[in-house]
Amino acid sequence: MSEAALIGLFVATVQFGTLVFLAALGELIAERAGVLNLGVEGMMTMGAVSGFMVGLETGSPWAAFFAAAAVGSLVGGFHALVSVVLGADQVVSGLALTIGGLGLAAYVGRNVVGERPETQFTDLGIAGLADIPWIGEIFFDQPPVVYLTVLLGLAVWFVLARTRLGLAIRAVGESAATTDTAGHSVMALRSVAVMVGGAFAGAAGSFLSLYMAPGWTEGMVAGRGWIAVALVIFGAWRPGRLALGALLFGFTLALQPRLQTFDIEVLGLDVSSISPALLGVLPFVLTVVVLVIISWRHRHRPSVAPAALGLPYRREER
Amino acid sequence: MIRPVLARRERVVPATQAAGFVLGVVVALILGAILLWVSDHSPAEVYERMFDSAFKGTDSLSRTLERATPLALTGLSVAVAGSMGLWNIGAEGQMMAGAIVATGVAMMADGLSGPLLIALMMVSGVVGGMALMIGPALARSHLRVSEIITTLMLVYVAIRVVEWLETGPWKDPESFGFAVIEPVPEQAALPGLFGRANIGMLIALGLLLVFWLAVSRTAWGYELRLAGSSPDTARYAGVSLRRKVLTALLLSGGIAGLAGAVQLTGSAARLESGLSNGYGFAGIIVAALALMRPSGVAVVAFVFGAVQVGGQSIQTLGVSSAIADILQAMILFGALVAVVFFNYRIQWSGPGGGSSIAESGEPDLAGEVA
Repeated sequence: MSEAALIGLFVATVQFGTLVFLAALGELIAERAGVLNLGVEGMMTMGAVSGFMVGLETGSPWAAFFAAAAVGSLVGGFHALVSVVLGADQVVSGLALTIGGLGLAAYVGRNVVGERPETQFTDLGIAGLADIPWIGEIFFDQPPVVYLTVLLGLAVWFVLARTRLGLAIRAVGESAATTDTAGHSVMALRSVAVMVGGAFAGAAGSFLSLYMAPGWTEGMVAGRGWIAVALVIFGAWRPGRLALGALLFGFTLALQPRLQTFDIEVLGLDVSSISPALLGVLPFVLTVVVLVIISWRHRHRPSVAPAALGLPYRREER
Repeated sequence: MIRPVLARRERVVPATQAAGFVLGVVVALILGAILLWVSDHSPAEVYERMFDSAFKGTDSLSRTLERATPLALTGLSVAVAGSMGLWNIGAEGQMMAGAIVATGVAMMADGLSGPLLIALMMVSGVVGGMALMIGPALARSHLRVSEIITTLMLVYVAIRVVEWLETGPWKDPESFGFAVIEPVPEQAALPGLFGRANIGMLIALGLLLVFWLAVSRTAWGYELRLAGSSPDTARYAGVSLRRKVLTALLLSGGIAGLAGAVQLTGSAARLESGLSNGYGFAGIIVAALALMRPSGVAVVAFVFGAVQVGGQSIQTLGVSSAIADILQAMILFGALVAVVFFNYRIQWSGPGGGSSIAESGEPDLAGEVA
């Protein structure tokens, strides 16, 4: 395996890690507020198509990125309206959001399939640091979205752990009634959390369609929104552990298309002889295995999930 | 500040869910019409074409029934798990797994007579679906791993395996270089009823009936529903929750696997990566709209079959078939919202108005969490 190939693998690890981290961070905010949103795949897909189309129209990757975030937040707002304000089943609403989002994205993007954007994010060679061998290329010569995502991760941690707003969000995810009694609006806290989460997912989708795989094709998110949902469980609803998990999954997602080109043997089996279709199952099998392992390790401990996760709140029915 | 709150109606609308479904369809059609209109299509023309292609004449009706069959089976699959509060959202993958095993068996036993081979393939389908479900089922029953994520992840695994079989081990040597698997033996084709409808439809109807009886009329079904709605009561009554979770999920996987075998022998003719065609995912919406009841599954599957046939037909008008997916999701959203308003009404509550916390006595803080 050449040095360049190995560096390429780690560069891609950081980018795939960013992709799933950004989406998972959004889901983490919603879930800490007590709202399960299984629509991440749909919100990412809507973000991917709308970001790509705005990018085509304006030629500005940043305009595209923020437009995707706005669309993601709008789609998330739909989930908030149905499941938070009206109190319908969160699982049903989220699943319908994914199925409907995939359909709507396919419809909206039907005329831009195969087009290529003229401009996209350029890698930021951070002065001085980008020239360090290995480290420089992997960590300091990435597109700006990578650094923005790191900042967002820190911001989410800070807000949740160190501010009154964060306390209110965490409280509403543990017990909505208590938070209501304390004078906070359950609806507002939860709806905003879901919409911010949607913005993150939409932005993540546009990172995919603007930078990682420039273009739009149906189903291009390809399950990575679901990996983000699983990642929140893996990260035990904490931003720090979420970041670690994102790197692990980022590595697997980056490894899978490259495995064939690496001339390596695993247990006497030549990896390059394995079908790419079979290697494609890796991230998904890993997700299942990892979830089973952490549940096995935590089997005697009480769940760390927000206590009110998935429960709608109606003041009159406490 | 005066603000709206939802207050439970004292008298709720009768047949709430059925009415909600009808309203959902209406809402979806209106929103769909707006979407068509803004993209320069004539909603009336598109809807007329959809309606005609789904209902006009026996041939159209048979196409609707052909599509309703896998939808009814995947819907039932989701409903069986759902009747005890579990979510199998991987029916799409279990369909594939069922079709894979059924194809493998057909390759080995292609000398058998038709009825025998078909029966064998149906059983193989069930086995395949269960096989893909065994991991998520055990993880859920023994380790409380969310079955939502594990079942969904295995969808991608099953589809990749089919792609691998197409390009490698099972590639048809007589396919002139195309990556396709050889068709199932001729005698394995499900006997037709009329037009494109085949006896797969009767299999689905029969199974819906069996499950309706089992869930609503037997002690087993009662325990299943009890385990879902109040696990503590069920445990107190001596019901093994683990075993119930395992059975419900395995049955759910098996039914989805059967859907794969029915699709393979009834409509698809060969195993291919597009065989499941979104039926497994649509089955989630079908089951949710049916409130996990077999009778409802039959009705919703029929309507969704029509929507999908209609979605296919409007491609000749230059309209994307994605409209069908959008309509299905909108029907569900419409029904969700409608049902909320059947059960609740908007009440404007001001300071000191009817339903503030202060007047409802001691707030029961533990109530929400439990």
